[in-house]
Amino acid sequence: MPSDRAEGAGGRVGWTLLSLLGFAALWQALAALIDSPALPGPAEVWRAALFQIENDHYFGHLGATLARVAAAFFVSMSLGAAIGLALGLWRGADRIFGGWLTLFLNLPALVTMILCYVWFGLTETAALLAVAVNKIPNVAATLREGGRSLDRDLAEMAAVYRLGRRARLFDVIIPQLQPFLAAAARNGLALVWKIVLVVELLGRPNGVGFQLHAYFQLFDVATILAYAFGFIVVVQAIELFLLEPWERRAGRWRR
Amino acid sequence: MSGLSVAIRRKAFSGAGVLGEIVFTLAPGERAALIGPSGVGKSTLLSLIAGFGGEFDGRVGRPPGRVAMVFQTPRLLPWRTLAENVALPPGSGGMDRARALLAEMGLADAADLHPERVSLGMQRRAALARALAVEPSLLILDEPLVSLDPEGAAAMRRLLVAVLDRTGATALISTHDRREALALADRVLELGGRPARLTGDRPSPLDRKARRDPEAVEAAHRRLFAEGG
Repeated sequence: MPSDRAEGAGGRVGWTLLSLLGFAALWQALAALIDSPALPGPAEVWRAALFQIENDHYFGHLGATLARVAAAFFVSMSLGAAIGLALGLWRGADRIFGGWLTLFLNLPALVTMILCYVWFGLTETAALLAVAVNKIPNVAATLREGGRSLDRDLAEMAAVYRLGRRARLFDVIIPQLQPFLAAAARNGLALVWKIVLVVELLGRPNGVGFQLHAYFQLFDVATILAYAFGFIVVVQAIELFLLEPWERRAGRWRR
Repeated sequence: MSGLSVAIRRKAFSGAGVLGEIVFTLAPGERAALIGPSGVGKSTLLSLIAGFGGEFDGRVGRPPGRVAMVFQTPRLLPWRTLAENVALPPGSGGMDRARALLAEMGLADAADLHPERVSLGMQRRAALARALAVEPSLLILDEPLVSLDPEGAAAMRRLLVAVLDRTGATALISTHDRREALALADRVLELGGRPARLTGDRPSPLDRKARRDPEAVEAAHRRLFAEGG
């Protein structure tokens, strides 16, 4: 029922808020106890955020980072899913390229970033490429499992009833992959934005990563936390208002 | 023109022969039951006839037109409603026709439910509706009554007979139940041995009207299969 679902989501938001308030109280208490600029309390971080909003393009930096996260996320999800599915469906492809996947999975993120900047210069493309190269193997590994677990029975049904390519993809295959796509998306979001920050720190003139680097040099912990929390809020909102409703919608046929 | 011609010489899974020589033809509109113990290779034979069983030695001539299959498990898409499942195959005539077919199967009220929310018997009937939606010239049914309770099985059997009467499709129905074979088919093919071969091919002693009577089926069963089972 739609009303039940809305209530469920509302309840979840309520509990999340309550739990976060508890964390903030604990943090404030700890900050008061230590009383050092190395651990500013939530009120101080809030003031730093307000100052950034008024004087240093807080939302501009947040937006630049978000745009990079969105672009890298989209590219890695679509390419990673296609590669993973191909590896899961065709044993020959897995034999030939499975080793490559292991190699890229274990390639340190920092190495890809440095290589991309060295090879392609300190450009936006190089930055996005570095993030995508880090994330694609993760998505591919998850979707390879999805490809392997596709139901043969349904594939045979699709063959007997002469379902077209479109119907096979959208009605038969993708719904089976939905849990794998959701897992890849969730892990992907968390991973991508962390990598984007490092990419920005190393070679971009704007974005949250760039700002963190600048304020690290000033030992301004309050501003660093102000940017970090801004981002956490955005990622939580994506989780609550995009990923979770999508998963509920996709799973509504389950008993 | 034949309804179905089967001339299989050998089918093996990783070297082990599953099917040996199996040759038979069905006339257009003829209904045959394929009987034999569980695991003998009935489903494998049906998959070859339906065209998805992979490599084998021999050939299968299907009649012109569509092939439809009712699988042993309903194989409906769990994320689509019953009506959407019936309307999915190309040429099925869309949602209105799907609803009409489901109503014929007694599923008018369940058309918008997802498969996991209805009983196995209802899923079976929806799978049958999907098969009918493509107006097949060859209808393959793999144990359509297995694991239904006696009442559900009797209702499904009546429905099957009515459907077969109406469509005039050539039909091949596998079952391990000889009474069921006599109640549904014009002809009884028996599969046995390893690799499986055709060990029996006999016409039903009952005409289509007579086999609606359970007692006539019982009497024919005693006469034909007196040696037991």
